[in-house]
Amino acid sequence: MDLYVAAFGFGLVGMSVIAIAAVGFTMQFGITNMINLAYGEVMISSAYVAYYINRAGVTIWVGMIAGALFGAVFSFLLNRFVYSPFQRKGTSHIGMVIVSLAVSLMIANLLLPIVGYYSVSYQDTTGGLLRAGGIVLTTNQIAIIGVAVVIMLLVHGLLRYTRLGKAMRATAANPTLARNCGIPTQRVIDAVWLITGALCGLAGVVAAMNSDSFAIANGAGFLITALAAAVLGGAGQPYGAMIGAVIIGMITELSAAAWAPEYKEVVAFGILVLVMVLRPQGLLSKRGALAAAG
Amino acid sequence: MNSYYAANLLVYAGVDIIALLALNLQFGVSGIVNFSFIVFQAVGAYTAAVLSMPPDTAQGYDFQIYIGGYQLPFPLPWLGGAFAGGLVAIPVGLVVLRKLRSDYQAIALLVLSIITNEVITNARPFLNGAAGLALVPPPFSDVIDPNTETYQYFYVAMTAVCVVLVFVVVNRIVNSPYGRSLRAMRERELAAMAIGKNPVQLKMTVFIVGGVIGGLSGAILVGFIQLWAPSVWLYPETIILFAAIIVGGRGNNVGAILGALLVPVGFEEATRFIPSSFGPPGLIPALQWVAIGLLIIGFLWFRPEGVRPEPRHVFEGAPVREDLEDARAS
Amino acid sequence: MSRFKPSPFVSAIVAIFILAACGGTTSTGGGLGSGDLLVGVIAPFTGADAGLGPAYYAACLAAAPSINSNGGVGGRNVKCEQFDTRGEPADAVPAANKMIASNSNLMAVVGCTSDEAATVAPIIDRAHIPMFCMTGQSEFNKTALKYFHRLVPADVYDAFAMVGSALFGPGHDPYKKAALVFGDDIGSQAFVAPATNAFTHLGGTIAINQPIHLGASSYRTEVAAMLKTNPDVILTEALGSAGTYLKEVKTQNGGKMIPFIGSSATIDPTWFQQVRDAIGINDLLKYYGGVDLGYTFSGPAYSEFLTNLNAAASTFADAPKYKQRGSTLHLYDGIIMAALAMVATNSADPKVYNSKIIDIANGTSGATVVNTYKDGVAALKAGKSIRFVGAGGENNFDQYNNSQSGYILVGYDKDGNEVTVGHLTPDQTSKLIAAGG
Repeated sequence: MDLYVAAFGFGLVGMSVIAIAAVGFTMQFGITNMINLAYGEVMISSAYVAYYINRAGVTIWVGMIAGALFGAVFSFLLNRFVYSPFQRKGTSHIGMVIVSLAVSLMIANLLLPIVGYYSVSYQDTTGGLLRAGGIVLTTNQIAIIGVAVVIMLLVHGLLRYTRLGKAMRATAANPTLARNCGIPTQRVIDAVWLITGALCGLAGVVAAMNSDSFAIANGAGFLITALAAAVLGGAGQPYGAMIGAVIIGMITELSAAAWAPEYKEVVAFGILVLVMVLRPQGLLSKRGALAAAG
Repeated sequence: MNSYYAANLLVYAGVDIIALLALNLQFGVSGIVNFSFIVFQAVGAYTAAVLSMPPDTAQGYDFQIYIGGYQLPFPLPWLGGAFAGGLVAIPVGLVVLRKLRSDYQAIALLVLSIITNEVITNARPFLNGAAGLALVPPPFSDVIDPNTETYQYFYVAMTAVCVVLVFVVVNRIVNSPYGRSLRAMRERELAAMAIGKNPVQLKMTVFIVGGVIGGLSGAILVGFIQLWAPSVWLYPETIILFAAIIVGGRGNNVGAILGALLVPVGFEEATRFIPSSFGPPGLIPALQWVAIGLLIIGFLWFRPEGVRPEPRHVFEGAPVREDLEDARAS
Repeated sequence: MSRFKPSPFVSAIVAIFILAACGGTTSTGGGLGSGDLLVGVIAPFTGADAGLGPAYYAACLAAAPSINSNGGVGGRNVKCEQFDTRGEPADAVPAANKMIASNSNLMAVVGCTSDEAATVAPIIDRAHIPMFCMTGQSEFNKTALKYFHRLVPADVYDAFAMVGSALFGPGHDPYKKAALVFGDDIGSQAFVAPATNAFTHLGGTIAINQPIHLGASSYRTEVAAMLKTNPDVILTEALGSAGTYLKEVKTQNGGKMIPFIGSSATIDPTWFQQVRDAIGINDLLKYYGGVDLGYTFSGPAYSEFLTNLNAAASTFADAPKYKQRGSTLHLYDGIIMAALAMVATNSADPKVYNSKIIDIANGTSGATVVNTYKDGVAALKAGKSIRFVGAGGENNFDQYNNSQSGYILVGYDKDGNEVTVGHLTPDQTSKLIAAGG
């Protein structure tokens, strides 16, 4: 039984890591309509930025901030110089996905000669071990959970209570109407890329901390988990992404406790398939499911 | 003249052409954004493999675990692969096509592709997990030695026959009244429904046909390379095929052929010729990938309509409409 | 349908392929020919296994000067070139075909890892080019491919050696309960059955067999489950995920590591760095036991290898790190043996010199033992037959072109160098093989 309790604790960590990444990804999709396949590579680039800072002796918590800033700037520049010009040219959605894949290939392979193929680790990322009623977590893991909770609250606050947030929701719902109502969509889009880029960068550093050991090849895995959680919750729905992260993070650890651990991701994805069969638009998607015009 | 390399390129070109003709049917003609396409090719390959291999307990095969192993002779494995591709298309189509809006279909299918790959990698006794299936017997290997030039030409010929067959079938579909309904459905779904066409049923049928052809392409490929593992069909492979469709020109079969020659064969293989005998190991190979990415982006920027754009069908008397919707239709 | 005019771009691409496929003529017949000779390194250089290719490339960078500064092969210089398989079989096939089609001066091929060996080996074999492959896969244990040479043992022997370390290793009583933690990749699962058989038949119990999914972001629950079974030792190969898993073990066990034994693949600078960063150097030194083939890392062959490897740092900065990597040593030897075979048969035709490689490796009776290319050429000139014992030690090819030597028990020092900590006696070795089935 206490294996399950311990697994529950681990699930809390897992879901925190996934949530930050998934929310960023889903907001990008929801507001700009881009399935940004380069998201994982931006995450891993930010993780490496934090790594070099950490190697210079700075604590990883500062590195996290640096990673977030890097992610924000990198994503913003990507949009400004690559995605946006293509969109203005009238490239179809499919074309944009292809562009994002090409970008991810380029980022991964430009990074490879620079950072090398070795796996690396951050220093001092354990902290003391705490045990409470069967849950076994390190102080750093608890800190990660804390960071995730804070981020979720900030995102909630942004979307609900700020003008920018409302403008973002309006642009997501109907860009033309939003523009006609005087919302400066171009500036909103810029802000979206900065904010989701920061989430992406932060998520990358957190995920790298969580894995203890990471290399460029992990970027694809980061993307896949974020994507799965986002789709589970309803693509484009930030709260859905949070729920998706909770489900995937928790199911992964609990099934590792209950059955053969090498199947833990299979079970998590199996749940996802089940949801997609029963409710293919995702858990929280508000829009109609039927194949209506569009 | 090294015929093995030439045969390799020709067979790959043939396989990619067949795959793209299937994808063009699904995406180019009827607008289904099937981001899980590579799964259908994989299903065809795995099926053809387990149908043609001996059981996993056989001498020399006992280092791998897999279902099936019926040692069936050609053409049964290829037919089986095609059939399996169509079979798998049914549940996928039922869920995704009937219940989802098109922009959600894309991302849902993408995730499906990822899930399938993970499941097969992890569930080792099913299809031998990450290692995949090795020592797949090529068709007619008991009659002709596969390691001869004769066999290579033979394989190219078989692939070419399949290409021609598929091309004829797909052309028939596209140029038939059925195909016109498909195009109408893609461009003006509401109007098509108004005159009584059932878009969901049409889409399902096309999806299944695309699955069958995709499965066939997998069977042909696995017979040639004699090995099939999850690393061969990761989700970016589908995106590369989509890039080929866009670069070649969507919505028309000649465009699909051009795309197959340019992207999976052209870009990916031509970049191998960037000289790699200098620099630290890994630098030039990484730059080869960067070159592939640049080529794709370059084509999408400078020639977004494709090398051979879809011919516009103009009907006398009807005004030709500037179709912005066409570009945004997916 | 409108007329189809191929665009100039498409024509250019087609032209490139035609030119490439029509490579130059192959040299046949007697004599060593002229022009440079090429060693092709075919392995992943990008993608998930990007770390494999460079290790093999380093071997070629070290071997080329050994040959070239001693007269080359009949005056011909050896060059190295990388051919990226991109980590998957469908890309490996054209890589191999292109390598063969565009180069008529291939003298040997090195690399071909488990990712692609099954498809690539037959291609190279039918082109009649000697290859030295780095794959422990069982399908090559009894291969019919004449040009396939394997200098690393099959995975089963590694597994037996690991069990030997657990039962007969120095510094501890024989372990009674073992946890098997192997990755779900191509290579690692082959260890489980032989290790289980050997360990249980010799009196131990398997506390848990826990295959782990490589590349997962964390293994917390797995480690918790493993710790519950209270093993004395962990037998593991989980390349790429070792750091993640082992750190978790240390964390959940209250900061105390459990003894762990790694396969020969863990003798690798990448693995050392990853695990050292994860659990710290002290725990690595204290709790890690490894197995490896009986390298001495000394002697004239090794010194020449080391000198050249260090010099290669000008082209490949990380080359010196591979000075104790088994595969690098073996491929170095393989390339030199191929060159010696050419000199011995005075032929640049692989159909002639391929079988000579086996003779030079195993030695015929009365053969003079040589350790460097220079000595080998001199002995051949003097009309002697030779046996080459190189940086990786003796080779003994069996009828299936598999070669293996005995295992030793090893650990690391603080700089990542391998140190021998023990041996397995022939008696222990035969016990293990018998128990393992």
